[in-house]
Amino acid sequence: MQQTIEELTQELRNELIKQLNLEDMLPPNFDENTPLFGEGLGLDSIDSLELVVLMDRNYGLKLKDPKEGRHVFYSIRTMAEYIHKNRQPV
Amino acid sequence: MVGQQKYYINGIGIISPQRTFGHAEFLTHINVYDKNVLNAVTPDFKAFINPVQLRRLSRMLRIGMTASIMCLRDARIQAPDGIITATGYGFLEETEKFLREMLDRGEKQLTPTFFMQGTYNALAGLIALSTKCTGYNNTYVSKGFAFENALDDALMQLEEKPDQNILVGSYDEAAAVQHVSGLREKHYKSEHINSLDLFKTQTRGSLQGEGSAFFDISGSETTSTWCRIQDLEIVYAPTHDIKLASLLSAFLEKNNITPRDVDVWVNGVSGDVLNDSLLSSLKNSLLQQVPEVRFKHLSGEYCTASSFALWLGASILKKQMVPEAVAFGSPFPEHLNTVLIVNQYMNKNYSFILLKK
Amino acid sequence: MSQRVFITGYGIITSIGTNRTENLKSLIDGTSGFGELEVLDTVHRKSLPSCEIKHDDRQLRDLAGLKKNETGFTRTSLLGLIALQEAIRSAGLSKEEVNTSGLLSATTTGGIREFEKYFYDLLDLQQQGSFIQFSDTANPGEHGERIADHAGIGNYIGTISTACSSSANAIMQGARLIRHRKLDRVICGGAEALSKFTINGFNSLMIVDPGHCRPFDVSRAGLNLGEGAAYLVLESEEVVARDGKTALGELKGYGNANDAFHQTASSPEGTGAIRAMQLALESGKITPDAVDYINAHGTATENNDLSEGMGIQTLFHERVPLFSSTKPFTGHTLAAAGSIEAVFSLLAMENQMVWPNLNFNNRMPELSISPVRKLLVNTPLKNVLSNSFGFGGNTSSLLLASA
Repeated sequence: MQQTIEELTQELRNELIKQLNLEDMLPPNFDENTPLFGEGLGLDSIDSLELVVLMDRNYGLKLKDPKEGRHVFYSIRTMAEYIHKNRQPV
Repeated sequence: MVGQQKYYINGIGIISPQRTFGHAEFLTHINVYDKNVLNAVTPDFKAFINPVQLRRLSRMLRIGMTASIMCLRDARIQAPDGIITATGYGFLEETEKFLREMLDRGEKQLTPTFFMQGTYNALAGLIALSTKCTGYNNTYVSKGFAFENALDDALMQLEEKPDQNILVGSYDEAAAVQHVSGLREKHYKSEHINSLDLFKTQTRGSLQGEGSAFFDISGSETTSTWCRIQDLEIVYAPTHDIKLASLLSAFLEKNNITPRDVDVWVNGVSGDVLNDSLLSSLKNSLLQQVPEVRFKHLSGEYCTASSFALWLGASILKKQMVPEAVAFGSPFPEHLNTVLIVNQYMNKNYSFILLKK
Repeated sequence: MSQRVFITGYGIITSIGTNRTENLKSLIDGTSGFGELEVLDTVHRKSLPSCEIKHDDRQLRDLAGLKKNETGFTRTSLLGLIALQEAIRSAGLSKEEVNTSGLLSATTTGGIREFEKYFYDLLDLQQQGSFIQFSDTANPGEHGERIADHAGIGNYIGTISTACSSSANAIMQGARLIRHRKLDRVICGGAEALSKFTINGFNSLMIVDPGHCRPFDVSRAGLNLGEGAAYLVLESEEVVARDGKTALGELKGYGNANDAFHQTASSPEGTGAIRAMQLALESGKITPDAVDYINAHGTATENNDLSEGMGIQTLFHERVPLFSSTKPFTGHTLAAAGSIEAVFSLLAMENQMVWPNLNFNNRMPELSISPVRKLLVNTPLKNVLSNSFGFGGNTSSLLLASA
């Protein structure tokens, strides 16, 4: 049975923290709607590349265009929604 | 270079297999190793690097960054005017990680972080970024000459423009991958020994060490000056001991001194019976009367180990004492003014560094 | 203290020629080395075409005149040796002169290609085989010592690795050693072989164009990788005069700066680029309007070309010189780019030609300048700037002058 968006956000949160070494720098109100780039969490362009690979490895989704990534990677929530809609077998 | 210009070491930051940072006393407590690998003793990195930066840094990058920050703090400057780093094998652990992933995943779905962290100039770039130093930036990777090349470069920069601070730093890690190739090449001993027994062995190979040492070098003296660098020379693959001795003799003469004027000789013997032969020959000839210290039983052997020797020599001059842990020669003079470092790496890369109080 | 530094010889090998003559012909004919990979064994051989030298290692060994028992030469070392030999020949150096020279080389990969090929065997001490010759060749400094040993250079050896600006920095450092009278002669440059490591590394950064690169074009989509080597023989003014040598050009100035903007990206305003070029001009004591041509770094990544383009525009104001990137010819040869492009700059001055920026069609909206699109002939060039900018913010610029 397919994962719900809530399950995906939980999974993604854990994945991000692990993959991007975020344990020591999470802001206090960090949740699924916190912007990942810029003002919120402050991730950078290298992180976005890491996320592209994460999407491919874990969910079979290939993002070719970095600009497409901008919308998908806005927050954990938007990532979960994108995966929920488009995921492929890995 | 026996020009008019003087060169001062105004700050040092060093992380090594010994306690060489913080308020540690000068080599009173010695770390002993028995598996032929001397890993660095590290501080709490959080005291030096903020978490946002820290998360992206590999172990060796943390060590290198921290050593550079320690150096800047010691020199009491915010940012240098130039940055020159040196390494023999670079960030091998990260390179290995990237290669493993690449091979295991059939060159698909690879992340860039290990690749980026594996570039030789990553540390110099990071220091420039965090200190906003837009000045001269270079990285030498010439095996056993890397640190000497970097130092030489810095001294030339200062000769051109003395009123600046050049940050010169080394880094090399005791990567497992390199230990394997090192065993094949007889760089490291095949039998495990106690590190303090290094110079008692009569076998091939040394111990694998690691560390990062940064020096702030300037054309002006300050209240945090450790000592002066008088001169430096590299010698590539000298074919016999007479040649090395005559080159060293000429080096000393160029600087208006004889062996008798040298208070301490920092001897870069590595415990390898073959590679040490030319330096041992010096001990029985030109430098016979010069009191000797050794260091590779404390630092291990690596391409940029002469940076550990530079810290040792500078410390001896600054603190006016020779720790028992390094003393291998006759009694040392009361006043220590001149230190000569003669180092070798794999019997190919020889260097002379002359330090003055 | 300061004396002039002349170039008395050079050697080069790239995907567009195994020596100076072949490279020159390709530049004139507009022939690039871009295509599918045939020598390197990688899954990307068709999907990420590059500028590969179509000689396998055995053929390179023959070109370098190596004997069968001379083993342990990585592809990077082979390319380096071939270019080094041509440089020594072209400068007409005697054995004694070679022996008293210094060597400053540069690479980003060293023997990584062999390390990745024999990775599992190398890491297993139980394994034996001919791969053992590559047991300790991954480190970058190894190639410098190896080619120096083979050529007979024994006086001073240094190897530099600052990503894409490496060999430019090697050339700079050689000049510095001469100006400080530490050496009369230094042979400087760099060597780089293609490897899966670099192809996959750059691909993971998503800056590789699967098609032929288009520097400074609005539709540019990234770089192509390449391989090659080039070395310049630098000699002091004193030696050139004393021995009646022929100078092929002069290394008039140089600049090294750091962008300090991001680990793998350049600042959009081109701060580092401007600084490096400015320092080169200042050290060469010429004003911007005296520059006739810029051989740009021009990798065709979105970031570099914007940064460099803005930098050139800002520094030169209304009087922007002719400029072009030769990377569509050779690909981005990483550490060797600086020295390869220095040779191309010398060839340009010698032949009074300006090399075209292939594949350029439409200007970037952020810039008001465009590169040279077609080969220019009968164009006397007195001062040429050659730019090399790399990861870690390393920006370097060489100012070369005609002989």
